[in-house]
Amino acid sequence: MKLQSSSLAVLIFFSAAAHSQSSVTLYGVLDSGLLYQSTSAATFQPTARNQGHVYQLKDGGIYSSFWGMKGSEDIGGGYKITFKLQGTFNTTNGKSGLSDTPGTTALFNQYATVGATGPFGTFDAGRQIVPMIYAMAETDVRGAQYFGSILTAWLGINQAAGWPGTSTNAPIGALYDSNALVYSSPKFYGTTLALEYAPGGVAGQFQGGTRESAVLKYSNYGLNLSAVYYNGHDTNPFPLTYPTAPATPATGLDNNRFYYFGAMYTISGFSVSASYAIARNPARTNSVDFEMASGGLGYQFSPAFKITSGYYYLKDRNNSANHSSEFAVGAEYSLSARTRAYAQVGYVNNKGTMNQTIIYGAPVAPGVSTTAAMVGIRHSF
Amino acid sequence: MKTIKALELAVALWFVAASTTAWSQTGQAASAPASAQGTSGMMASGAVAPAGRRADRALRRRVYGAIGKDKEISAGDIGVTAKDGVVTLNGTVTEAAQIGKAEAIARGVPGVTSVTNKLMVKKPFGGM
Repeated sequence: MKLQSSSLAVLIFFSAAAHSQSSVTLYGVLDSGLLYQSTSAATFQPTARNQGHVYQLKDGGIYSSFWGMKGSEDIGGGYKITFKLQGTFNTTNGKSGLSDTPGTTALFNQYATVGATGPFGTFDAGRQIVPMIYAMAETDVRGAQYFGSILTAWLGINQAAGWPGTSTNAPIGALYDSNALVYSSPKFYGTTLALEYAPGGVAGQFQGGTRESAVLKYSNYGLNLSAVYYNGHDTNPFPLTYPTAPATPATGLDNNRFYYFGAMYTISGFSVSASYAIARNPARTNSVDFEMASGGLGYQFSPAFKITSGYYYLKDRNNSANHSSEFAVGAEYSLSARTRAYAQVGYVNNKGTMNQTIIYGAPVAPGVSTTAAMVGIRHSF
Repeated sequence: MKTIKALELAVALWFVAASTTAWSQTGQAASAPASAQGTSGMMASGAVAPAGRRADRALRRRVYGAIGKDKEISAGDIGVTAKDGVVTLNGTVTEAAQIGKAEAIARGVPGVTSVTNKLMVKKPFGGM
């Protein structure tokens, strides 16, 4: 009897210990604002017609709205098991965000990962935002935000390379990868290394649909440096006219390569950034071969108010008639720890078939200049 | 050809950055006498500005060296300026708790008399 009660006590003790060491957090952000844009288009086709100016309620002035759950369990010895489920949604209509397949949404399109963290670094398996995007955000004064940043510039290359904009399966680099295995090293004298491999899971084709990337970062003395290598097989198999025209079958074709080098320096409230990138389709370099260059300047007036600006240049190395210059400036003011108001203006001069957007999710007319302005609010919970 | 040039430039930049770190790490002991020299120089002659500036720079490096050792905080996002022991922190951290942590680390650096904290939170890509 005594033995029984003591074993019960042990059980209770262990269950209590397990309970107290794990945690789950529900969190999210809503970001919505009013957008004016002087041109617009229905698609990213290089021949898309200019449908004229547009005035709309727009989701994601800084980044997309999203919600998620994350948690961790301490398993002792400095190791933790972690999970993260996170998906975007559109505050203007309540719809879920894009997945890898055009016309299909995914509940957790940003993160669906289980992983471990410990003295070795961190490891995450599943769909996730890939290291290259963080590396680019950390070397862009505009922080790879949704309005006029290194993100919209990189997406501009993707549009020029044939991305229909209806899926997250990009022809150049990636924002999200499914099936991804990502290892991030601990910090060593300010330097970290992240490695990604995503098995494609294509039957009979070992290389089919695989992704691999490496990101080297340095962060200390006010200086961030990033170097990115990304390579993908069978990326963006969907033509602009999908689903009328079918998707290309996965054969292990190496068709997505991206190199990026960026730097950002912060001192006395000022931040300056610069970057250079090369994007090409190794299987079709005569049609997909681009250059991207950026420069940024920002100033932080107080812990609650900052202004950031950036210049982004895209060039088609196969056809000098296709190039694009974009300039964006934005002001952000923190109303509280959880709420931020913003106002931003952007101008893009697209030439040839270029259609670099000013804000993610609002196509501009190709080959002409476009101006956009947005005011909005971003609230986190 | 252009690719190779860009690669060379990137590699060169990296070495410059890494060597800065290495220097400050090994130079930690050496930088203390340098600052002492700075103050004595200030008293002896009228050359206030260069000596003071040298001490400020040494203090700034020590503060960066200390913050850079933290596993969570990215010292590359933080601007540190030092003037006669008064250290100002601006730039961004990724969590609210790191604002106080960075300040505490800076305060713990020998030679720091006060810290003006202007850090703000900027979540990693996609966040707040």
